[in-house]
Amino acid sequence: MSEVAERVKKVVSRQLKVQPEKINEGSEFVKDLGAESIQSIELVAAFEEEFGITMDEDAALSVRTVGTAIEFIEKHLSETGRNNE
Amino acid sequence: MSLIDTFLEKARKEKKRIVLPEGNDERILQAARTILDKGIATPVVLGKNLSLTGLEIINPDTSPLLDKFASLYAAKKENITEGIARKLVRKNLFFGCMMVAHGEADGIVAGIAHATASVLQSAGLAIGYLKDVHIPSSFFIMVLPQFLEEKNKILVFADCAVNINPSAQELAEIAVTTGKNAGDILGIEPRIAFLSFSTKGSASHTDADKVIKAVEIAHGIAPELIIDGELQLDAALIPRVAQKKVKLSEVAGHANVLIFPDLDSGNIAYKLTQYLAGATAYGPILQGFKKPVCDLSRGATADDVVGITAIVAVQAQRRH
Repeated sequence: MSEVAERVKKVVSRQLKVQPEKINEGSEFVKDLGAESIQSIELVAAFEEEFGITMDEDAALSVRTVGTAIEFIEKHLSETGRNNE
Repeated sequence: MSLIDTFLEKARKEKKRIVLPEGNDERILQAARTILDKGIATPVVLGKNLSLTGLEIINPDTSPLLDKFASLYAAKKENITEGIARKLVRKNLFFGCMMVAHGEADGIVAGIAHATASVLQSAGLAIGYLKDVHIPSSFFIMVLPQFLEEKNKILVFADCAVNINPSAQELAEIAVTTGKNAGDILGIEPRIAFLSFSTKGSASHTDADKVIKAVEIAHGIAPELIIDGELQLDAALIPRVAQKKVKLSEVAGHANVLIFPDLDSGNIAYKLTQYLAGATAYGPILQGFKKPVCDLSRGATADDVVGITAIVAVQAQRRH
Protein backbone atom coordinates (compact mmCIF):
# COMPACT_ATOMS: atom_id res chain seq x y z
CA MET A 1 0.00 0.00 0.00
CA SER A 2 1.33 3.45 -0.86
CA GLU A 3 2.09 6.00 1.82
CA VAL A 4 -0.73 8.22 0.54
CA ALA A 5 -3.20 5.31 0.76
CA GLU A 6 -2.21 4.60 4.34
CA ARG A 7 -2.60 8.21 5.37
CA VAL A 8 -5.96 8.54 3.58
CA LYS A 9 -7.24 5.48 5.46
CA LYS A 10 -5.97 6.89 8.76
CA VAL A 11 -7.85 10.17 8.13
CA VAL A 12 -11.04 8.33 7.11
CA SER A 13 -10.85 6.10 10.19
CA ARG A 14 -10.41 9.10 12.48
CA GLN A 15 -13.05 11.34 10.88
CA LEU A 16 -15.77 8.75 10.38
CA LYS A 17 -14.91 6.70 13.47
CA VAL A 18 -14.57 3.48 11.50
CA GLN A 19 -12.06 0.75 12.37
CA PRO A 20 -9.14 0.80 9.87
CA GLU A 21 -9.55 -2.87 8.95
CA LYS A 22 -13.06 -2.14 7.65
CA ILE A 23 -11.74 0.43 5.18
CA ASN A 24 -10.67 -0.65 1.71
CA GLU A 25 -10.21 1.20 -1.55
CA GLY A 26 -13.65 0.25 -2.85
CA SER A 27 -15.44 1.56 0.26
CA GLU A 28 -17.93 4.30 -0.47
CA PHE A 29 -17.95 7.00 2.22
CA VAL A 30 -21.73 7.32 2.35
CA LYS A 31 -22.88 3.78 1.55
CA ASP A 32 -20.23 1.71 3.33
CA LEU A 33 -18.61 3.94 5.93
CA GLY A 34 -21.60 5.70 7.45
CA ALA A 35 -20.79 9.25 6.30
CA GLU A 36 -23.65 11.61 5.63
CA SER A 37 -23.40 13.05 2.13
CA ILE A 38 -23.30 16.54 3.60
CA GLN A 39 -20.03 15.65 5.38
CA SER A 40 -17.98 15.19 2.25
CA ILE A 41 -16.53 18.72 2.35
CA GLU A 42 -15.45 18.12 5.94
CA LEU A 43 -13.71 14.94 4.86
CA VAL A 44 -12.01 16.78 2.01
CA ALA A 45 -10.86 19.48 4.46
CA ALA A 46 -9.38 16.73 6.62
CA PHE A 47 -7.44 15.40 3.58
CA GLU A 48 -6.31 18.93 2.78
CA GLU A 49 -4.93 19.33 6.27
CA GLU A 50 -3.22 15.94 6.29
CA PHE A 51 -1.51 16.53 2.95
CA GLY A 52 -1.09 20.31 3.02
CA ILE A 53 -3.04 20.76 -0.18
CA THR A 54 -6.06 22.79 -1.29
CA MET A 55 -8.96 21.25 -3.16
CA ASP A 56 -11.91 22.98 -4.80
CA GLU A 57 -15.36 22.62 -3.14
CA ASP A 58 -16.72 20.83 -6.18
CA ALA A 59 -13.85 18.31 -6.04
CA ALA A 60 -15.40 17.02 -2.84
CA LEU A 61 -18.42 15.90 -4.83
CA SER A 62 -16.38 13.62 -7.09
CA VAL A 63 -14.54 11.96 -4.22
CA ARG A 64 -16.98 9.19 -3.31
CA THR A 65 -14.77 6.23 -2.45
CA VAL A 66 -11.52 5.73 -0.54
CA GLY A 67 -9.90 4.74 -3.84
CA THR A 68 -10.97 7.90 -5.69
CA ALA A 69 -9.70 10.01 -2.76
CA ILE A 70 -6.28 8.31 -2.92
CA GLU A 71 -6.14 8.74 -6.69
CA PHE A 72 -7.21 12.39 -6.49
CA ILE A 73 -4.64 13.24 -3.81
CA GLU A 74 -1.77 11.37 -5.53
CA LYS A 75 -2.53 13.22 -8.76
CA HIS A 76 -2.69 16.54 -6.93
CA LEU A 77 0.62 15.89 -5.15
CA SER A 78 2.43 14.87 -8.34
CA GLU A 79 1.11 17.94 -10.19
CA THR A 80 2.24 20.31 -7.47
CA GLY A 81 5.51 18.45 -6.85
CA ARG A 82 4.84 18.03 -3.17
CA ASN A 83 4.32 14.91 -1.16
CA ASN A 84 4.30 16.14 2.35
CA GLU A 85 4.01 19.20 4.51
CA MET B 1 -44.52 46.32 -12.64
CA SER B 2 -42.77 42.97 -13.06
CA LEU B 3 -42.31 40.68 -10.09
CA ILE B 4 -38.56 41.33 -10.02
CA ASP B 5 -39.18 45.10 -10.01
CA THR B 6 -41.43 44.58 -6.98
CA PHE B 7 -38.62 42.70 -5.19
CA LEU B 8 -36.07 45.37 -6.13
CA GLU B 9 -38.32 48.03 -4.66
CA LYS B 10 -39.00 46.06 -1.47
CA ALA B 11 -35.29 45.30 -1.03
CA ARG B 12 -34.39 49.01 -1.22
CA LYS B 13 -36.71 49.87 1.67
CA GLU B 14 -34.56 48.12 4.28
CA LYS B 15 -31.08 47.37 2.99
CA LYS B 16 -29.60 44.00 3.97
CA ARG B 17 -25.99 42.80 3.85
CA ILE B 18 -25.76 40.10 1.23
CA VAL B 19 -22.55 38.13 0.72
CA LEU B 20 -21.49 37.15 -2.81
CA PRO B 21 -18.65 34.63 -2.31
CA GLU B 22 -17.68 34.17 -5.97
CA GLY B 23 -15.97 37.52 -6.55
CA ASN B 24 -13.50 36.02 -8.98
CA ASP B 25 -16.32 35.72 -11.52
CA GLU B 26 -16.75 38.89 -13.56
CA ARG B 27 -20.59 38.63 -13.52
CA ILE B 28 -20.58 38.79 -9.72
CA LEU B 29 -18.49 41.98 -9.74
CA GLN B 30 -20.82 43.60 -12.29
CA ALA B 31 -23.85 42.56 -10.25
CA ALA B 32 -22.32 43.78 -6.98
CA ARG B 33 -21.65 47.17 -8.56
CA THR B 34 -25.31 47.44 -9.71
CA ILE B 35 -26.62 46.27 -6.31
CA LEU B 36 -24.52 48.92 -4.60
CA ASP B 37 -25.24 51.75 -7.04
CA LYS B 38 -29.00 51.14 -7.07
CA GLY B 39 -29.17 50.70 -3.29
CA ILE B 40 -30.75 47.23 -3.50
CA ALA B 41 -28.59 45.78 -0.73
CA THR B 42 -25.14 46.16 0.79
CA PRO B 43 -23.05 43.65 -1.16
CA VAL B 44 -20.04 42.00 0.45
CA VAL B 45 -17.85 40.30 -2.14
CA LEU B 46 -15.38 37.51 -1.32
CA GLY B 47 -12.31 36.94 -3.45
CA LYS B 48 -8.57 37.12 -3.82
CA ASN B 49 -6.65 40.03 -5.33
CA LEU B 50 -9.72 42.16 -5.83
CA SER B 51 -9.95 45.86 -5.34
CA LEU B 52 -12.90 47.92 -6.44
CA THR B 53 -13.72 51.40 -5.25
CA GLY B 54 -16.66 51.53 -2.91
CA LEU B 55 -17.25 47.78 -2.76
CA GLU B 56 -16.62 45.88 0.46
CA ILE B 57 -14.29 43.04 -0.42
CA ILE B 58 -13.05 40.33 1.93
CA ASN B 59 -10.26 37.87 1.22
CA PRO B 60 -10.99 34.92 3.53
CA ASP B 61 -7.26 34.00 3.63
CA THR B 62 -6.27 37.28 5.25
CA SER B 63 -9.48 38.18 7.10
CA PRO B 64 -9.42 38.32 10.91
CA LEU B 65 -12.74 36.46 10.73
CA LEU B 66 -10.88 33.33 9.52
CA ASP B 67 -9.54 32.39 12.96
CA LYS B 68 -12.80 33.32 14.67
CA PHE B 69 -14.90 31.20 12.30
CA ALA B 70 -12.45 28.27 12.50
CA SER B 71 -12.62 28.25 16.32
CA LEU B 72 -16.41 28.54 16.32
CA TYR B 73 -16.80 25.69 13.83
CA ALA B 74 -14.28 23.39 15.54
CA ALA B 75 -15.97 24.04 18.91
CA LYS B 76 -19.32 22.78 17.70
CA LYS B 77 -18.04 19.69 15.87
CA GLU B 78 -16.60 16.74 17.72
CA ASN B 79 -14.15 15.46 15.10
CA ILE B 80 -13.20 18.71 13.46
CA THR B 81 -9.90 20.13 14.72
CA GLU B 82 -9.11 23.82 14.33
CA GLY B 83 -6.69 22.91 11.56
CA ILE B 84 -9.41 21.14 9.57
CA ALA B 85 -11.87 23.93 10.33
CA ARG B 86 -9.40 26.50 8.94
CA LYS B 87 -9.19 24.53 5.68
CA LEU B 88 -12.99 24.52 5.45
CA VAL B 89 -13.50 28.15 6.37
CA ARG B 90 -10.85 29.37 3.90
CA LYS B 91 -13.11 28.23 1.07
CA ASN B 92 -15.08 31.22 -0.13
CA LEU B 93 -18.42 29.41 -0.20
CA PHE B 94 -18.03 28.10 3.33
CA PHE B 95 -16.68 31.44 4.59
CA GLY B 96 -19.73 33.20 3.13
CA CYS B 97 -22.06 30.75 4.85
CA MET B 98 -20.20 31.26 8.16
CA MET B 99 -20.67 35.05 7.75
CA VAL B 100 -24.41 34.48 7.44
CA ALA B 101 -24.48 31.97 10.32
CA HIS B 102 -22.71 34.40 12.65
CA GLY B 103 -24.49 37.62 11.76
CA GLU B 104 -21.79 39.18 9.55
CA ALA B 105 -24.25 39.07 6.62
CA ASP B 106 -28.01 38.55 6.29
CA GLY B 107 -28.04 36.19 3.31
CA ILE B 108 -25.85 34.56 0.68
CA VAL B 109 -26.11 34.40 -3.11
CA ALA B 110 -23.79 31.75 -4.60
CA GLY B 111 -23.57 28.97 -7.14
CA ILE B 112 -22.47 30.78 -10.32
CA ALA B 113 -19.12 28.94 -10.08
CA HIS B 114 -20.11 25.97 -7.89
CA ALA B 115 -22.35 22.91 -8.14
CA THR B 116 -25.69 23.09 -6.34
CA ALA B 117 -24.59 20.21 -4.09
CA SER B 118 -21.60 22.27 -2.90
CA VAL B 119 -23.86 25.20 -1.99
CA LEU B 120 -26.26 22.85 -0.18
CA GLN B 121 -23.43 21.17 1.76
CA SER B 122 -21.78 24.40 2.87
CA ALA B 123 -25.10 25.98 3.90
CA GLY B 124 -26.28 22.81 5.65
CA LEU B 125 -23.08 22.52 7.69
CA ALA B 126 -22.41 26.18 8.45
CA ILE B 127 -25.92 27.67 8.69
CA GLY B 128 -28.06 24.63 9.53
CA TYR B 129 -31.76 24.00 9.05
CA LEU B 130 -34.89 25.65 10.44
CA LYS B 131 -36.75 24.07 13.36
CA ASP B 132 -38.73 20.99 12.26
CA VAL B 133 -36.85 20.93 8.95
CA HIS B 134 -34.28 18.24 8.21
CA ILE B 135 -33.65 18.72 4.49
CA PRO B 136 -32.98 21.55 2.08
CA SER B 137 -35.52 21.99 -0.69
CA SER B 138 -36.41 24.57 -3.32
CA PHE B 139 -39.28 26.37 -4.96
CA PHE B 140 -40.01 28.28 -8.14
CA ILE B 141 -42.22 31.36 -8.45
CA MET B 142 -44.09 30.94 -11.74
CA VAL B 143 -45.75 33.96 -13.34
CA LEU B 144 -48.28 33.00 -16.04
CA PRO B 145 -49.26 35.71 -18.53
CA GLN B 146 -52.89 34.58 -18.26
CA PHE B 147 -54.73 31.86 -16.33
CA LEU B 148 -58.54 31.60 -16.54
CA GLU B 149 -59.63 35.24 -16.16
CA GLU B 150 -56.50 36.38 -14.31
CA LYS B 151 -53.51 38.19 -15.84
CA ASN B 152 -49.99 37.69 -14.39
CA LYS B 153 -51.15 34.79 -12.25
CA ILE B 154 -48.58 33.78 -9.64
CA LEU B 155 -48.17 30.15 -8.62
CA VAL B 156 -45.49 28.60 -6.43
CA PHE B 157 -44.11 25.16 -7.38
CA ALA B 158 -42.04 22.85 -5.14
CA ASP B 159 -39.81 20.92 -5.10
CA CYS B 160 -38.63 21.09 -8.69
CA ALA B 161 -34.87 21.04 -8.15
CA VAL B 162 -33.49 19.29 -5.07
CA ASN B 163 -35.24 16.22 -3.60
CA ILE B 164 -35.54 13.31 -6.01
CA ASN B 165 -38.00 11.08 -4.18
CA PRO B 166 -39.01 12.66 -0.87
CA SER B 167 -40.59 10.53 1.87
CA ALA B 168 -43.97 11.52 3.33
CA GLN B 169 -42.18 13.35 6.16
CA GLU B 170 -39.88 15.16 3.72
CA LEU B 171 -42.79 16.06 1.44
CA ALA B 172 -44.64 17.53 4.43
CA GLU B 173 -41.57 19.61 5.37
CA ILE B 174 -41.21 20.83 1.78
CA ALA B 175 -44.88 21.91 1.74
CA VAL B 176 -44.78 23.72 5.07
CA THR B 177 -41.51 25.52 4.28
CA THR B 178 -42.75 26.49 0.82
CA GLY B 179 -46.09 27.73 2.15
CA LYS B 180 -44.43 29.92 4.75
CA ASN B 181 -41.94 31.29 2.23
CA ALA B 182 -44.68 32.03 -0.31
CA GLY B 183 -46.51 34.00 2.36
CA ASP B 184 -43.39 35.86 3.48
CA ILE B 185 -41.96 36.72 0.10
CA LEU B 186 -45.05 37.25 -2.02
CA GLY B 187 -47.41 38.51 0.66
CA ILE B 188 -50.10 36.03 -0.42
CA GLU B 189 -52.16 33.71 1.76
CA PRO B 190 -50.80 30.32 0.75
CA ARG B 191 -53.32 27.64 -0.21
CA ILE B 192 -51.22 24.54 -0.45
CA ALA B 193 -52.21 21.58 -2.64
CA PHE B 194 -50.43 18.24 -2.38
CA LEU B 195 -50.63 16.93 -5.93
CA SER B 196 -51.11 13.34 -7.02
CA PHE B 197 -52.73 11.31 -9.79
CA SER B 198 -55.50 10.68 -7.27
CA THR B 199 -58.12 13.04 -5.78
CA LYS B 200 -59.33 12.20 -2.28
CA GLY B 201 -59.01 8.46 -2.66
CA SER B 202 -60.09 8.19 -6.30
CA ALA B 203 -57.12 5.89 -6.97
CA SER B 204 -55.44 3.41 -4.69
CA HIS B 205 -51.66 3.09 -4.82
CA THR B 206 -48.69 3.36 -2.46
CA ASP B 207 -47.59 6.57 -4.26
CA ALA B 208 -50.94 8.21 -3.45
CA ASP B 209 -50.69 6.85 0.10
CA LYS B 210 -47.37 8.69 0.51
CA VAL B 211 -49.05 11.97 -0.41
CA ILE B 212 -52.01 11.30 1.92
CA LYS B 213 -49.57 10.61 4.76
CA ALA B 214 -47.64 13.81 3.93
CA VAL B 215 -50.85 15.88 4.20
CA GLU B 216 -51.48 14.43 7.65
CA ILE B 217 -47.91 15.16 8.81
CA ALA B 218 -48.04 18.71 7.39
CA HIS B 219 -51.27 19.43 9.32
CA GLY B 220 -49.44 18.30 12.45
CA ILE B 221 -46.35 20.49 11.81
CA ALA B 222 -48.26 23.64 10.80
CA PRO B 223 -51.95 23.51 11.79
CA GLU B 224 -52.24 27.22 10.94
CA LEU B 225 -51.58 26.69 7.23
CA ILE B 226 -54.32 26.03 4.67
CA ILE B 227 -53.43 22.62 3.27
CA ASP B 228 -55.29 19.95 1.35
CA GLY B 229 -54.63 16.81 -0.65
CA GLU B 230 -54.25 14.51 -2.26
CA LEU B 231 -55.52 16.39 -5.31
CA GLN B 232 -55.10 16.06 -9.05
CA LEU B 233 -53.84 19.23 -10.71
CA ASP B 234 -57.21 20.17 -12.23
CA ALA B 235 -58.99 19.69 -8.91
CA ALA B 236 -56.38 21.93 -7.29
CA LEU B 237 -56.58 24.78 -9.81
CA ILE B 238 -59.91 24.79 -11.64
CA PRO B 239 -62.99 25.71 -9.57
CA ARG B 240 -65.37 23.91 -11.96
CA VAL B 241 -63.46 20.63 -11.60
CA ALA B 242 -62.98 21.08 -7.86
CA GLN B 243 -66.72 21.45 -7.37
CA LYS B 244 -67.32 18.10 -9.00
CA LYS B 245 -64.47 16.16 -7.40
CA VAL B 246 -64.00 17.65 -3.92
CA LYS B 247 -66.41 18.49 -1.16
CA LEU B 248 -65.50 21.13 1.39
CA SER B 249 -61.98 22.32 0.69
CA GLU B 250 -60.39 25.74 1.13
CA VAL B 251 -57.71 24.70 -1.34
CA ALA B 252 -59.38 22.78 -4.17
CA GLY B 253 -60.00 25.07 -7.13
CA HIS B 254 -58.03 27.90 -5.52
CA ALA B 255 -54.55 26.49 -4.84
CA ASN B 256 -51.61 28.87 -5.25
CA VAL B 257 -48.84 26.62 -3.88
CA LEU B 258 -48.41 23.31 -5.69
CA ILE B 259 -46.46 20.51 -3.99
CA PHE B 260 -45.34 17.82 -6.41
CA PRO B 261 -44.89 14.25 -5.15
CA ASP B 262 -41.37 13.86 -6.56
CA LEU B 263 -38.69 15.55 -8.63
CA ASP B 264 -39.80 13.96 -11.91
CA SER B 265 -43.23 15.54 -11.73
CA GLY B 266 -42.03 18.85 -10.23
CA ASN B 267 -39.22 19.45 -12.65
CA ILE B 268 -41.28 18.46 -15.69
CA ALA B 269 -44.21 20.60 -14.51
CA TYR B 270 -42.21 23.80 -14.12
CA LYS B 271 -40.63 23.39 -17.54
CA LEU B 272 -43.99 22.59 -19.17
CA THR B 273 -45.49 25.69 -17.59
CA GLN B 274 -42.49 27.76 -18.66
CA TYR B 275 -42.37 26.58 -22.27
CA LEU B 276 -45.96 25.67 -23.13
CA ALA B 277 -47.77 28.33 -21.11
CA GLY B 278 -45.13 31.02 -21.61
CA ALA B 279 -44.67 31.49 -17.88
CA THR B 280 -41.65 33.21 -16.35
CA ALA B 281 -39.89 30.98 -13.82
CA TYR B 282 -38.01 32.59 -10.90
CA GLY B 283 -35.83 30.09 -9.10
CA PRO B 284 -34.92 27.61 -7.89
CA ILE B 285 -34.94 29.48 -4.60
CA LEU B 286 -33.43 27.33 -1.87
CA GLN B 287 -35.18 26.97 1.46
CA GLY B 288 -35.04 25.11 4.73
CA PHE B 289 -31.94 26.89 6.05
CA LYS B 290 -31.98 29.12 9.13
CA LYS B 291 -30.97 32.10 6.97
CA PRO B 292 -31.60 32.91 3.29
CA VAL B 293 -29.38 31.03 0.83
CA CYS B 294 -29.66 31.17 -2.94
CA ASP B 295 -28.20 28.89 -5.57
CA LEU B 296 -27.49 30.62 -8.89
CA SER B 297 -27.38 28.70 -12.12
CA ARG B 298 -23.94 28.59 -13.73
CA GLY B 299 -25.38 30.32 -16.76
CA ALA B 300 -26.80 33.24 -14.75
CA THR B 301 -26.22 36.75 -16.08
CA ALA B 302 -25.24 39.74 -13.92
CA ASP B 303 -28.88 40.90 -14.15
CA ASP B 304 -30.07 37.50 -12.88
CA VAL B 305 -27.70 37.87 -9.91
CA VAL B 306 -29.13 41.31 -9.12
CA GLY B 307 -32.73 39.97 -9.23
CA ILE B 308 -31.94 36.94 -7.06
CA THR B 309 -30.07 39.15 -4.59
CA ALA B 310 -33.23 41.26 -4.25
CA ILE B 311 -35.28 38.11 -3.49
CA VAL B 312 -32.74 36.99 -0.87
CA ALA B 313 -32.74 40.48 0.65
CA VAL B 314 -36.55 40.44 0.90
CA GLN B 315 -36.37 36.99 2.55
CA ALA B 316 -33.83 38.40 5.02
CA GLN B 317 -36.14 41.33 5.86
CA ARG B 318 -38.79 38.82 6.95
CA ARG B 319 -36.43 36.99 9.34
CA HIS B 320 -36.39 39.19 12.38
